[in-house]
Amino acid sequence: MSLDPTPMEPLVAVEDVHTYYGKSHILHGVSLHVDRGEVVGLLGRNGVGKSTTLKTIMGLVHPNRGKVLFAGKLVTGLPAHKLARLGIGYVPEDRRIFRLLTVMENLRTGLDRHGITEARKQELLDKAFTYFPVLAERRNQAGGTLSGGEQQMLAIARAMMLEPKIILLDEPTEGLMPRMVSQIREIIEVLHREGVAILLVEQNVPLTLEASQRIYIMEKGAVRHHCAASELKVDDAVVHQYLGV
Amino acid sequence: MTPVLEFLQAIPYDQILIQTVNGIVTGMILALIASGLTLIFGIMDVVNFAHGELFMFGAYMGVVVLAATGSFWLALLLATLIVALIGAALQITTLRPLIGRDPLTTILATFGISLVMQNYALWQFGPVARKIQEPFTGQFTLFYLEYPWYRVLIAGLSAAIIGAFWLFLKYGTYGIWIRATTQDRVMAEAMGIPVSWVYTTVFAIGAGMAAASGVLFGPLVGVNHAMGLDWVLKAFIVVVVGGMGNLGGSIAASIFISLLEAYASIWVSPAQAVIVSFVVLILTLLFRPTGLFVPTPK
Repeated sequence: MSLDPTPMEPLVAVEDVHTYYGKSHILHGVSLHVDRGEVVGLLGRNGVGKSTTLKTIMGLVHPNRGKVLFAGKLVTGLPAHKLARLGIGYVPEDRRIFRLLTVMENLRTGLDRHGITEARKQELLDKAFTYFPVLAERRNQAGGTLSGGEQQMLAIARAMMLEPKIILLDEPTEGLMPRMVSQIREIIEVLHREGVAILLVEQNVPLTLEASQRIYIMEKGAVRHHCAASELKVDDAVVHQYLGV
Repeated sequence: MTPVLEFLQAIPYDQILIQTVNGIVTGMILALIASGLTLIFGIMDVVNFAHGELFMFGAYMGVVVLAATGSFWLALLLATLIVALIGAALQITTLRPLIGRDPLTTILATFGISLVMQNYALWQFGPVARKIQEPFTGQFTLFYLEYPWYRVLIAGLSAAIIGAFWLFLKYGTYGIWIRATTQDRVMAEAMGIPVSWVYTTVFAIGAGMAAASGVLFGPLVGVNHAMGLDWVLKAFIVVVVGGMGNLGGSIAASIFISLLEAYASIWVSPAQAVIVSFVVLILTLLFRPTGLFVPTPK
């Protein structure tokens, strides 16, 4: 099931991917794509393989079958650090801040790399601190001492240090206060305006429909439904069927 | 005369001071060995049974370079670099293929390496202990003892090496990579850090530090193929007491245990004083298995 065929090659394409954890078959032939600068929502109940899909794209788990392409290049089986260098930013579900590193050091893990000038580093830092002023205030504080919302911002800012072409966002609003949720919503908007593509995994259906251009809905390790976000309403039958809300 | 005064007068203050100096010197050498060991464990969960042999190899490299060049300092530097390279090669060939396997396999692998290295040293250099000539022989008077300056220098140099390494971990880019990888290797990888090369580098640094302590300690005892055994045993005790993977804890535990042993040997023979280390180890495992010098488990 596909929409109108895209003229240019997608930024990320996942083709019939099967992923296992040990003997358990998690992804049963997932196919999806994200175009340059596009925000794509990935919905589905808990345990249908959304996070595994993101991990497979990031190279943190390797599929037994199927292909992952980045900008038309086959990247299946590449180690995650190479994918990060190619331009994939990863914001995992549990945020995974380096708890004993300061905010600044957390950012430096993505910033200190070859082929980047000091001026560019400063620019990236300034940008992150403009978006997330609270991180500037806490720059010398250990990551583990931040609140949940602050850790989420740090996780996003840290991924931005890689100057990614796409950010894989795994449940960024989970467990956050409403004020923080709207801040995350804003930052998705800002990243979108800057031309960064986003693959957004969320339980928050209204936010996902609002933020995304296209939606994939997964069930039992495969994509069951694919449409433009504008075609879908929170109370559609298909949303009820697959998400039970 | 009151009993308290009698007791106070019976304390051998001179001996205690001498043993404090001795304990700190041994403690710093031990810390230099143990920091590599704890770092390697902390970052890749590998208990490196070959660490004592890297120490021993360092001492032999020191002997060889010293014989060739006549310079102790060049020997120290080159032995450190050579053994660091050997460490990197060992890690790439034997430990890297085992990443993600049962930790037991790495124990067998490093134990195997240690046997090979010991027997290689025996074959290559023979059973007779070699001597490393200390770079200078000056002494100063400590009560009734002529205390060699060289021992004080060892403690200072060990502290300097550990200090430099700490600064590198704290501020260096690659230091941050090492700390990030220690905390969360998956996320480090996702941030573009080449984790398997970080492992290799850490193993090389640990090997180099062990080699440096081997050269520094060489002049105090002979250099022989089995010299690593005593030290690595003590280093393991220190690493456990200090909290596995905790650098600061290992350094504190090195000095703590060496001081205790030094004080104990005022009253009992040094061979018996070793018992103190084991008592501390057992008490730690019983009452504080995460380590004595760990504030809160992470």
